[in-house]
Amino acid sequence: MLSIQHISKEFGPVKALNDVSFDVPDGQILGLIGQNGAGKSTTFHSILNFIDYGGSIQWQGHTLSAEDFDHIGYLPEERSLMTKLTIEQQIVYLARLKGQPAKVIRPQIDDWLQRFDVKGTRKSKINDLSKGNQQKVQLICTLIHQPDLLILDEPFSGLDPVNADLLKQAIVAAKERGAAIIFSSHDMEHVTAVCDRLVMLRKGNVVLRGTLEDVREQFGKTELFVTTDWSTEQLAALTGVASVTHRHGNRYVLHLTDAAAGPAIFDALTQGHYIEEFSQQPPTLDEIFRLKVGEEHV
Amino acid sequence: MSKTWVVTFETYLRQIKSWSFLFMILGPFVMIALTVGISYVSANSSRSSQQVAIISDSKVLRQSYLQQHQDGINTKITTTAAAKKALKANHLAGYLTLSTSGEHLRGDYHGNKAMGNGLKAQVQNFLTQNQTVQNYQTAKLSPKQKQALTQTPVLKQHVATKDGATNLAKIISFWILITMIYIILITYSSITAQEIASDKGTKIMEIIFSSTTATSYFVGKILGILLVIVTQIAIYLLGGWAGYGLAMHNAGIKRLVSANQSLVDSVIHNIVNLNLLYVLLGVIIYTILAAYSGALVSKAEDASKAAQPVVMLGMLGFFAAFPFQNNLDALAVKILSYVPFFSSYFMPMRVINGTVSLTEQLASLVVLLITIGLFALYIGRQYQRLMLQTDSENMWQHLIHSFKH
Repeated sequence: MLSIQHISKEFGPVKALNDVSFDVPDGQILGLIGQNGAGKSTTFHSILNFIDYGGSIQWQGHTLSAEDFDHIGYLPEERSLMTKLTIEQQIVYLARLKGQPAKVIRPQIDDWLQRFDVKGTRKSKINDLSKGNQQKVQLICTLIHQPDLLILDEPFSGLDPVNADLLKQAIVAAKERGAAIIFSSHDMEHVTAVCDRLVMLRKGNVVLRGTLEDVREQFGKTELFVTTDWSTEQLAALTGVASVTHRHGNRYVLHLTDAAAGPAIFDALTQGHYIEEFSQQPPTLDEIFRLKVGEEHV
Repeated sequence: MSKTWVVTFETYLRQIKSWSFLFMILGPFVMIALTVGISYVSANSSRSSQQVAIISDSKVLRQSYLQQHQDGINTKITTTAAAKKALKANHLAGYLTLSTSGEHLRGDYHGNKAMGNGLKAQVQNFLTQNQTVQNYQTAKLSPKQKQALTQTPVLKQHVATKDGATNLAKIISFWILITMIYIILITYSSITAQEIASDKGTKIMEIIFSSTTATSYFVGKILGILLVIVTQIAIYLLGGWAGYGLAMHNAGIKRLVSANQSLVDSVIHNIVNLNLLYVLLGVIIYTILAAYSGALVSKAEDASKAAQPVVMLGMLGFFAAFPFQNNLDALAVKILSYVPFFSSYFMPMRVINGTVSLTEQLASLVVLLITIGLFALYIGRQYQRLMLQTDSENMWQHLIHSFKH
């Protein structure tokens, strides 16, 4: 388990992290969300000891040290490889720095290239690959030594939906193997799809923490998805409705001031008859993200 | 295999597989081959027109001359007509006719220009010798009389040859050594600084520092570059040895080397001793400084600027050594022979001069070794922070911040 307790970091007058705490148990995926500059990369750099910080970071009960490097897979936010090397040379070099013998890694390379659908052979020069394929090679370098702790900084950025799915599969496979995984993302859809837990940072402070369900439930079931022949004006006039969003056709989302208003709205809309859609849900992660970001500007 | 060695071999392979390394290695060989080739072609093309033919009605006289002198002689031309034709076609510098008239020996030279001094002395000598033999025969002298006439005066020079050769050996050793240190330092300071600076601020460094310690990576890089230097020196030694072997097939060079054997031995003795250790340690400390310099630049694009301070320091040591080549007992030389970065130039000078004790040499070496150790440790600790820095501060601002840490 990765345990982060009360870490703080200041860059001059800027407080980049302020008393941040969370755990990432083995076999779980934690999504670290937040706007640019919220402190996500600083958190990762602290975990990896790239910077000095206040507080405590422990991995499997001890302070993370050079002995743990072989068990870590790290994908930095910006992609960077040694462009003059071939795919094979690059993967083998970085794997050897993770303590893996070349003879163990070489036979696996073709299989990994196939899994990530890399357009190129093991002898292709990194420089000759497209940006997307370079990114996939970098992901292979992060995963091929089967790390127990995976730290992925914006792993989905720049990937098309098909390749994003391939990455999700690889992350889930690592989780099933028992790895503790922490990744940052701006895309709440990816976070929702793979994360067990999430932490949201805003200006270095934790503003949300917990499982996906817990976080959403904290905001109550204030989103009401309905299909009705009522007009937008009629819906907006209902008691407890703060606003109405027209989805398409006769489908709407009613944003409630209070979740308790749901039953009365149900009665008003159905009047004892069949209705095609009536679904009361908590806000989506995307909406919560926007909400939390919005609070800052209030 | 330790991670340091993984970095060492990766750095080493990347360097020696590059075109720049190949050009750097082959450069001197190509230059030497071109010089020798051009000289050979030029000598061959002008050789025939510089030759002289020897013509004589007396086969014995002609053969006698040819037995004594072969260089610069065209032996194929045997008649005056052929010689005139060749001279006209500019295939001969001239021709010499040897004749006897009674008991009188005579030589006539025909050419477009007067005989060179060497050829003139050669011919004069030949004619005098043969005329003397002829005179002895004509005078019908007894062996005792002949013996008496061959007496010549004695002129012997008494010169302190040993000291003269030693001084020359010192000067040659001095220049070979400091030039060798200077060239290696300048070349590899640039290579090291650029190698390190090109990684500066790149995210690959984050991946690497999540895999191994900065100190281990730094030491690996330095060792990789030192291996490249050793490879280059080994190739040059092998090339030099092979070239020496080939040159020894040339009678002229062989004679030259044999004539100066004691000088060659002295120079080799002056270089192959503790001085080689100074060359090696000097290269190491400058390489570490170059790596530090490379890590201080603000971004990878500034790699070319990174080596400048190190090159300047290397040049300072090199040029500071000049004024003292004939005054190796100066106080400044003694002081600088203990100062790291300068001791690699100045202590070998004192060793060559033979005015420094082994204790003093070892003391200077210990100072250099401790400095290298402390310097490597300090930079190893700063290395991760410096390499991951992505701010816009310049090299000197980074240096000041580095001291504050």
